[in-house]
Amino acid sequence: MSTITIERLRKTYGAYVAVDDFSVTIPEGTVFGLLGPNGAGKTTTFKCMLGLARPTSGTILYGGSPLVPETFQRIAYVPEKSVLYEWMTVAEHVEMQRRTFRSFSVKQAQDLLEQFGIHLRKKARALSKGMRTATQVALAVARQSDVLILDEPTSGLDPINQRNVLNLIINEASRGATVIFSSHQIGQVERAAETIAVIDRGRLALQGSVDDLKSDRKVVEGIFPSEAFALDGIASDPRIGRIDVSGRIVRLLVTGGADEFAGKLDALGAGGVRVVDLNLEDIFLYAVAPSRATADVVEESPK
Amino acid sequence: MTYVEWLRVRNVLRVVAIILGLSIVVSLVLRISFNGYLKDDSTFLSHIQTQVGTRVTHAVLPNGIPQTIIDDPVDKTHVTIDNLGYGGRHIVITEPKTHSHSHDHVTIGSVQVTESQKGDTFTTVIDTNSAVPFLYYMILANLAALIVATILGSPLARENDGHLEFAFTRPASRTELALRAMGVDIVGIVAASVMAVIALIVCQAMFEVPHFDFSGINVQAVLIGIALPLAWFAMLTAATTWMKRGYGAIVGFAWPVAILVLVFGTISWGNSLVGEAVHNIFWVIARLNPLTYVSFSTHPETLGNSPASVAAPDFGPRLAMELILLLIYVALALYQWRRVEA
Repeated sequence: MSTITIERLRKTYGAYVAVDDFSVTIPEGTVFGLLGPNGAGKTTTFKCMLGLARPTSGTILYGGSPLVPETFQRIAYVPEKSVLYEWMTVAEHVEMQRRTFRSFSVKQAQDLLEQFGIHLRKKARALSKGMRTATQVALAVARQSDVLILDEPTSGLDPINQRNVLNLIINEASRGATVIFSSHQIGQVERAAETIAVIDRGRLALQGSVDDLKSDRKVVEGIFPSEAFALDGIASDPRIGRIDVSGRIVRLLVTGGADEFAGKLDALGAGGVRVVDLNLEDIFLYAVAPSRATADVVEESPK
Repeated sequence: MTYVEWLRVRNVLRVVAIILGLSIVVSLVLRISFNGYLKDDSTFLSHIQTQVGTRVTHAVLPNGIPQTIIDDPVDKTHVTIDNLGYGGRHIVITEPKTHSHSHDHVTIGSVQVTESQKGDTFTTVIDTNSAVPFLYYMILANLAALIVATILGSPLARENDGHLEFAFTRPASRTELALRAMGVDIVGIVAASVMAVIALIVCQAMFEVPHFDFSGINVQAVLIGIALPLAWFAMLTAATTWMKRGYGAIVGFAWPVAILVLVFGTISWGNSLVGEAVHNIFWVIARLNPLTYVSFSTHPETLGNSPASVAAPDFGPRLAMELILLLIYVALALYQWRRVEA
């Protein structure tokens, strides 16, 4: 299937811009996490990728080729909400998939459903929200597809089954499949994803490999003797992504040169200067939180 | 999606089968109840042998058929009853002409009555097991098929209602998926029609040998009986394909609206400008209604100003209109479904 390329994707609904100028390249055989707050455009991006919604502009290519119906033999999708047929049994859903997709493994589907504790004879309407999600995940994984797109695949699941789904994602990637998933459980994304993109208000806010993002981004924290301090010569540095000030405490989100900035804060009179490693959740929040505590505000802070 | 639609059709046909099965059971109960009456003529004769002096003779014809002859010398009435058993009865009644009779031929179900006059004698021949016009079977079949067509009449809207992520991520084009789904429904509708005919024949077979009359309008009834439910189904599908919910209301109101349009397009609203305008508007709308083109009359001119006679004075154009509507509505549904977004 090879690389998936999304180029300058834009999707509008009337005057509302759901996705705007979103470009990302997802290498083959990787686990890609798409993060973003509610309403950021994650699901719309997935829908555009799958032809469920028509992009207003932009291109989406699978191995250099646009999406055609036959491509779906190699793409499995788990939507955020349940799309199971309420009146059908789980077994009938399995049969439906078997009839539709050449590579679908009934045995694997049955094993996975058993693992999730889902009975084949149950009707979909009798399943809990988590069980429906798990059923959809099992049906998608059993397709043994090249690309697996999962929108909130752990939504509503108990911690044990969340772990099961996460393991499935990792297993799929180790098999060679490209896995693209979104989740509000950033810890899960951090554990499973190799690369991520953060989308905020329809626009790409951040992207890169999890390891690179974590190693590049640090918080340099210092405590000044009083609230009247200045960050002369620091605030305008392009390596600073953000400055948070809370009373006497200042936190700089920096991309590279953390030790250098620590020295500068120390030179400005800050005490207790330290460099803090960030987890993915911090990086995410810094990327999407409202940019109130910007450098400009700090520059105007009392001296 | 084809499989899902097949499951839907199967569920509907299961209900149809249960209802038809119950009607067969009721027929069986009736058959057992009437067993004595049907077995020999004694009960039957006791009803008609009321005149004093009437002579009743029983005989067996060389071909083994029991024959009963009732002769009433007072009224000069002579009745011959050939009991053909499961094949019904052949009854010939001769009586003196009491008043002016015209030659007549009446068929009610499998009972055929032929009246004729020769000199001063009037003869009535009754066959209780004659060929039944297939039109009667098709009326019931049509009713069943129309009900099933109404139930199944929104296959694409049902997919829109929360299942598009399944439907649109399959290795087939939307057009192909839609055609397959509609194809399955069409098979289901025709199957319901066939099931209704079979059930009716089974019920009839409990009482007599089924004979069918396929002459004249009966063939037309079969063709229109197939085309009408399909056009009706396609109309409902086209009317709901753009919807993601609430399509049940369209399906639910389809019948009363279609009948009202038909009626309003037929009746006269007076000679006023407004009346004519209303009539014309409904007349035009009625052209889109598959029910408009249904008529089993062999004399369309007798229908007066009904849309059926005006728009389709004979069977060919009416059938053609049903098929044209079917194709137009299918095309419209496909066009809309290609534009739907999840």
